[in-house]
Amino acid sequence: MSLVVAGVGKSYGGRVVLKDVSFQVGPHEFVCILGHSGCGKSTLLNLIAGFIQPDQGEILVDGVPVRGPDKSRGVVFQDHALFPWYTVLQNVEFGPSVRGLPKGEVRAQAFRYLRMVGLEAYADDYPHQLSGGMKQRIGIARALANEPDILLMDEPFGALDILTREMMQRELLRIWLELKTMVLFVTHSIGEAVYLADKILVLKNGRLAAEYLLDEPRPRSAAHPRLLELRADIERLLLEEEDPGEGGNLVHETRDSGRRVVPF
Amino acid sequence: MKPGTPADALSLSEGRSRTRTGTRPPKGLRSAGFLMSLIPVVTFFLIWEAVSRANGLFHWFNPLFLPAPTAILLDGWALAQKGLIIQSVVASTLRITVGFLTGCSAAVLCGILMSRSRTVETWLGPIFNMLGPIPALALLPIFIIWFGIGEFPKILLIAWTTFIPVLAYTLDGFKSVPPTLIRSALSLGASGRHIFTRVMLPSALPNIFVGANVSLGLSFSSLIVSEMMGAKSGLGYIIVDARNYFKMSNMFVAIVLIGLEFSLFAFLLKILEKRLLVWRTNGVRTAVDTGKE
Ligand SMILES: Nc1ncnc2c1ncn2[C@@H]1O[C@H](COP(=O)(O)OP(=O)(O)OP(=O)(O)O)[C@@H](O)[C@H]1O
Ligand SMILES: [Mg+2]
Repeated sequence: MSLVVAGVGKSYGGRVVLKDVSFQVGPHEFVCILGHSGCGKSTLLNLIAGFIQPDQGEILVDGVPVRGPDKSRGVVFQDHALFPWYTVLQNVEFGPSVRGLPKGEVRAQAFRYLRMVGLEAYADDYPHQLSGGMKQRIGIARALANEPDILLMDEPFGALDILTREMMQRELLRIWLELKTMVLFVTHSIGEAVYLADKILVLKNGRLAAEYLLDEPRPRSAAHPRLLELRADIERLLLEEEDPGEGGNLVHETRDSGRRVVPF
Repeated sequence: MKPGTPADALSLSEGRSRTRTGTRPPKGLRSAGFLMSLIPVVTFFLIWEAVSRANGLFHWFNPLFLPAPTAILLDGWALAQKGLIIQSVVASTLRITVGFLTGCSAAVLCGILMSRSRTVETWLGPIFNMLGPIPALALLPIFIIWFGIGEFPKILLIAWTTFIPVLAYTLDGFKSVPPTLIRSALSLGASGRHIFTRVMLPSALPNIFVGANVSLGLSFSSLIVSEMMGAKSGLGYIIVDARNYFKMSNMFVAIVLIGLEFSLFAFLLKILEKRLLVWRTNGVRTAVDTGKE
């Protein structure tokens, strides 16, 4: 399982949102996409999910171009996007059941992933009865129940408070270490990226500004000197050349888009 | 129709409130609220009775104009003894049931076709837009000339009155399905058919019910008017017949029955809605994320 993003560009009505974005992700890699609000992170994720098509360039999964959404690429949405008319269990069963698995298997699969996120006790509740963090966990279980090769997550913990967020990060890592699917995780929190990722892609104004590789063993401590250094480095990169008054949507034609690969 | 409307509005807003922590008041409190709402109604009838009786004594106006509630009850009882009430209620109930259900199903079916096929929408959309604003009652004389005074024109009128609002709400429901829900279904491997049956339809269902609730009142008007024009049975017929013989209390009997019948239908619709939209009512348990259970 490999993902190749090659020279991808996307504009909306003449406004360039993504420009010449290229990177590769290997199997089992945990990649964080980091950047300011409006820099095109969601757009990039939606392109990989197949919800929208690139204007330039190509996105290849195992050498095959992405033409539309597919069950091999599971998506976890920032607003969880659970089906409000289904119970928690029915939500998690959705993927396996539309794939046409036998009923017993569908249920078993759903319970397996509900247990993985620790919410099997809430199987018969409706999404509106759950807290934000629980909804997000159901969203993750629902995506995982389809056993996708790639898990795309768009700021899944963005709306959570800091404590819940940290707990969710630990839990996500635990699940990922167990399943070892490829994960692309969008965030605007540097700390989150440094804690989770094998590879951090920093997007800035629609371009890939830097790519960092981390091989720090997990679980990582936020106080680790090398991680602190990396955080400071990324912070500097994101803060520098911030033209005030500019919406952050325009691409700096002048900026050198050279990437830094910092192997640890 | 008085009893149906305020209760409807109340429970509707209750079903829609989506506060995460919102819980319903306990059952005791709710029935206390119901008792409270009975007091003004009872007072209303008591005053009516008093005015009517006082008028009987003092002759402010012709006592025939405003019979007392007790007199209406007695007249109703007399009519019931003759079997007229049962017969009228059955006739009206059959008409409204067949007409309303036909109108609703046709509207939902039409809405499905229009939202699934662009061609159907481009052809039917403008036609319904043109016909929709015409008050349905204006069509009744034409229907009678075309189809005679049998059951068909009445049911057709009721169905048509039901059809237009339900169709409008159904279409609106399909249009306002949240795109991320469709996206998440697609990325879970749903086919076009799954998207429709498992996302579009459930998402539009609350809207369809709003449409049905709106058109229930309209279709009752159509029922009564169509029974006033060229019918030999039904609650509307009691009213015109009573007018011809100046039997005011019979008119009031019919009006009360219409109100009761409407309330019954509104209640049945509400029950169906509650059944089908279980997910919209706030659950008893309010979940709190307590970390790992
Ligand atoms: N469908 C669309 N039509 C027009 N413009 C769009 C559309 N989608 C995104 N954009 C624009 O593209 C830019 C990037 O949007 P995107 O959602 O990818 O940002 P983001 O990095 O995910 O931001 P955030 O962190 O706030 O979610 C924004 O300026 C936005 O206005
Ligand atoms: Mg975004």
